[in-house]
Amino acid sequence: MSTFRLLIVTPDRTLFDGDVQEVIARTTEGDVGILAGHTRYAAILKTGALTVKMENNETRRAAVAGGVIKVSDEKTTVMSTAAEWAEEIDPDWAERSRRDAEMKIEAAKNEPDRLERANLKLQRALNRLSVHRGL
Amino acid sequence: MPNLKDIKRRIHSVESTMQITKAMELVASSKFRHARERAEAAQPFFEATYKLMAEIAAEDPFFNSQYVNPRTENGSALLIVIAGDRGLAGGFNSNVLRLAQSRIEEITAQGGTPLVMPIGQKAVDHFSRRDVKVLQTYDHVAEHASIYLAMDMADLILKNYKRHTSLQSVEILFTNYVSPILQVAERLQIIPLTDLPGSHPRRCAVEYDPSPEAVFDKLVPQYVAGLIYGAIVESFASEQAARRTAMENATDNATEMIDTLSLQYNRARQGAITQEITEIVGGANAQQ
Repeated sequence: MSTFRLLIVTPDRTLFDGDVQEVIARTTEGDVGILAGHTRYAAILKTGALTVKMENNETRRAAVAGGVIKVSDEKTTVMSTAAEWAEEIDPDWAERSRRDAEMKIEAAKNEPDRLERANLKLQRALNRLSVHRGL
Repeated sequence: MPNLKDIKRRIHSVESTMQITKAMELVASSKFRHARERAEAAQPFFEATYKLMAEIAAEDPFFNSQYVNPRTENGSALLIVIAGDRGLAGGFNSNVLRLAQSRIEEITAQGGTPLVMPIGQKAVDHFSRRDVKVLQTYDHVAEHASIYLAMDMADLILKNYKRHTSLQSVEILFTNYVSPILQVAERLQIIPLTDLPGSHPRRCAVEYDPSPEAVFDKLVPQYVAGLIYGAIVESFASEQAARRTAMENATDNATEMIDTLSLQYNRARQGAITQEITEIVGGANAQQ
């Protein structure tokens, strides 16, 4: 199967840069699958899983905390504020941050700004937990 | 002739100062290396974000974003001023604060109102003593700066930009690291994004989900956060480089001072010995 170059970047590192067969991403408009030769495309990513089929047919999953995916002729780029592979996720830490987020939601009931941020934090934690479990 | 004991005491005092400056020099160089690594790690993310924004702006002839269109107002601006948390870094803090001060005067002279967001203890202190409107302060964040903090800052800034239509621009004042011995205080306009490559629609249709504006507006906070993060990390690296140079000079001066004092000490000691011998010889001669 033909491959294309995938680049996953976050502000603190480049998570992945290499050739892959397929990428499945969760956008705000629904899941999209990208194969080699895909038309030029850009979409907003929701907090969710990113599934990548590697060159050697291995399938890896990553937790992505929202961002943007962009498909151009030469490569596909995923830009996210945070992304990690399923096997890198520390479930204890994710669980702690889930509880922390729930507490924050409770505390920020009357402040829409903080509530929104706490909700996003909860989503990220839940996403990490579900991606980790899907191993 | 200075007292031997006094010279000895001064040598000791200079020596202990030199130990401190030497230690600070070493700490600054190690912190500097870490800061450079962080600045470099953020680069690919930031570049990809900027490139896509530029592409959207260039490819779509109907593209129209509130972050790109300039506002014609009286020149009011939000200034994000990044200085250090500590002193003893040569001219690092005073250079960037002086630049900020002259920009504030410029804005006021044009009839606008400056609004300041200081980052770093030294900047916070500086503006708390002056009659300037402060939006929000951040201190002791630079050393362990995270992109999430920068995202919070970006949200706050963009919210204010949208709310206050009198704000003509958002600018960031930071210290750019040029070389180990040269760090320059600079001003960079963040919003509106006027330096995106001009609109020359090329026919290479990109499919945007849900729309080019939505994708662009999603990128702007990322871009602004990336810029702020970069500026904080860059300033921190500059601060460490400036401190390293300042402490290196201090250590050199201390060494020189110790040399001079040692020379004085030895001269005084020799003088004392010569005098003692003269006295002994004089005493012996008198007895004959």
